[in-house]
Amino acid sequence: MKKLITTAVVAAAMTFSASTLAAEPAAQSAAQTLDQLLSQIKADRQSDARLNKKREAEFVSERADKQALLKSAKSALAGEKQRGVDLQKSFTDNDQEIDRLSRDLATATGDLGEMFGVVRQVSGDMSGQLATSLVSSQYPGRDEVMMKLGMAKELPTIKELEELWYSLQTEMTQSGKVVKFTADVTDSSGEVKAMEVTRVGSFTLMGNGEFLNFNPNTGTILQLPKQPEGYKVATVGKFQGAAPGETTQVFIDPSRGGLLQVYTQKATLEEQFEAGGIVGKIIAGLLAFGLLISVWKLLTLTAESAKIRAQMKKLDNPGNNSLGRILKVYKEAGDVDVETLELKLDEAILQETPKIESGINLIKVLAAIAPMLGLLGTVTGMIATFQDITLFGTGDPKIMAGGISMALVTTVLGLVAALPLILMHAFVAGRAKSVTDVLDKQSTGIVASHAEQRGK
Amino acid sequence: MLYLVELWESVRDFMATGGDVLWLVAGALFLMWVLMLERYFFVSFVFPSVRKEIIAKWDAREDSTSWYAHRIREAWISQAQEQLNARMGLINALVAICPMLGLLGTVTGMIAVFDVMAIQGTGNPRLMAGGISMATIPTMSGMVAALSGVFFSTRLKARLKLSAEQLVDNLPHH
Repeated sequence: MKKLITTAVVAAAMTFSASTLAAEPAAQSAAQTLDQLLSQIKADRQSDARLNKKREAEFVSERADKQALLKSAKSALAGEKQRGVDLQKSFTDNDQEIDRLSRDLATATGDLGEMFGVVRQVSGDMSGQLATSLVSSQYPGRDEVMMKLGMAKELPTIKELEELWYSLQTEMTQSGKVVKFTADVTDSSGEVKAMEVTRVGSFTLMGNGEFLNFNPNTGTILQLPKQPEGYKVATVGKFQGAAPGETTQVFIDPSRGGLLQVYTQKATLEEQFEAGGIVGKIIAGLLAFGLLISVWKLLTLTAESAKIRAQMKKLDNPGNNSLGRILKVYKEAGDVDVETLELKLDEAILQETPKIESGINLIKVLAAIAPMLGLLGTVTGMIATFQDITLFGTGDPKIMAGGISMALVTTVLGLVAALPLILMHAFVAGRAKSVTDVLDKQSTGIVASHAEQRGK
Repeated sequence: MLYLVELWESVRDFMATGGDVLWLVAGALFLMWVLMLERYFFVSFVFPSVRKEIIAKWDAREDSTSWYAHRIREAWISQAQEQLNARMGLINALVAICPMLGLLGTVTGMIAVFDVMAIQGTGNPRLMAGGISMATIPTMSGMVAALSGVFFSTRLKARLKLSAEQLVDNLPHH
């Protein structure tokens, strides 16, 4: 379509020019005859010559004009060139002037310049110190002023210098003070409560009988997710509750919160027990079972030996206890011969002893099994650790260390379970031995001396 | 007095580097020695009079050869032996426990070392050294405690056996 339009336009233009070409000869051909044409040509020649003459004159006069123009342009160029040289000169002059003036400034600043450098450096250092200082929990926002002063390009004013001096002095004075103040404390669930906070210098924050922590990034006081050992925390309550002038001991954190932070990462006994896994629980079960048996045996054996002691005092009246039952056999035997009596007594003794000794060997077996189970836990833990190593490599000791401490916990549990069980076994076996000795060796003697006395 | 304070200071330092398990070892060692000293005292000062009494009672008997006499003699010997061997089982158990307590200290110390590694990495050997001293000192103490116990309890056992045999020898069938 577009092409069609352009061709149309071109065609129209051509027809138009063609028509003008055709029109001119038509106008000149006004002369009708040859004479007329001749006179016309003559007249034309005269006018043409006049015209040319006139143009020639014009050209000549114009030429003179151009000369004048060139002259004036040349003089303008020279003027500009001169101006350029002049400016160049004034530029170098100014440069030298600036140089001289800045040299003058440096001389005039002298020692002050050095001092401003120190101010900048000190306030830069100071802003970092103030940000992490526990004193900032009481007086927040001090570090920003210092930061501004440290970053400033221009010279500090006297007011700013006084601010720096004041900040340094405040930090020094406050780090030597034990102060109580009310502040918002964020607890572990994120709730914010206002409470009375005690600050010991720039070392430790305490509140509500607990150690607190200061987060310099957010500028908030935080409750520690985990407190150190109870006896350390107990000193805090005593310290906070102390009357003025009273002297109490308190644990403070000389690393300004670092140690308390490490304490929160330390595993509690409960967590360590949990780390023992299923083997740890089995061992704990064994310990509980063994202790139950031991206590039960200890109680029954003590009761039994008390009964036997009472029975020894009244041999004629056999009661329902192990010695009494043996004496009953003797009594029921009547006047049998000595050998039959011995056989009967031995039989009765044999019936009594297993009851007394039952369960004691079980305690011993449990005491022997517990450390072995602990070893089992250790080995399974080590296997887990080595599986971690095959997955993650040995690059991060933290991954391995976690598994290894877990593995060792079961060994500890095994030993912890075995130790009381061994002691309890010693106790119970001692008791049982004294009872069986009475039944085994002394009962026949008792019977014999009784019989002898009756025979007399 | 000052000497005692210094001694106590050094003991406290030792206990602090060894960890809490060291107190258990110390307790076991103390109990073991109290029991052993009590046994030594008994066998050297109390038992001779007991023995004399039994021998006198036996010598006073007219009949010493009948079945009754045999049984009565056996009962007396058994009673005397029971007196002699009282709490010996506990002493033996304490001797056996000492190395196990040392091992317990070793393992808890190693846990402390690995806990430090888990939190801080292996970058700081000084932090780990605390756990290592907690691991090695209780083992050594447990061994020393057990060795002292083994030596003296064996001597004690032999002495008790000898005393019992002396008693038996002194009860003849006359």
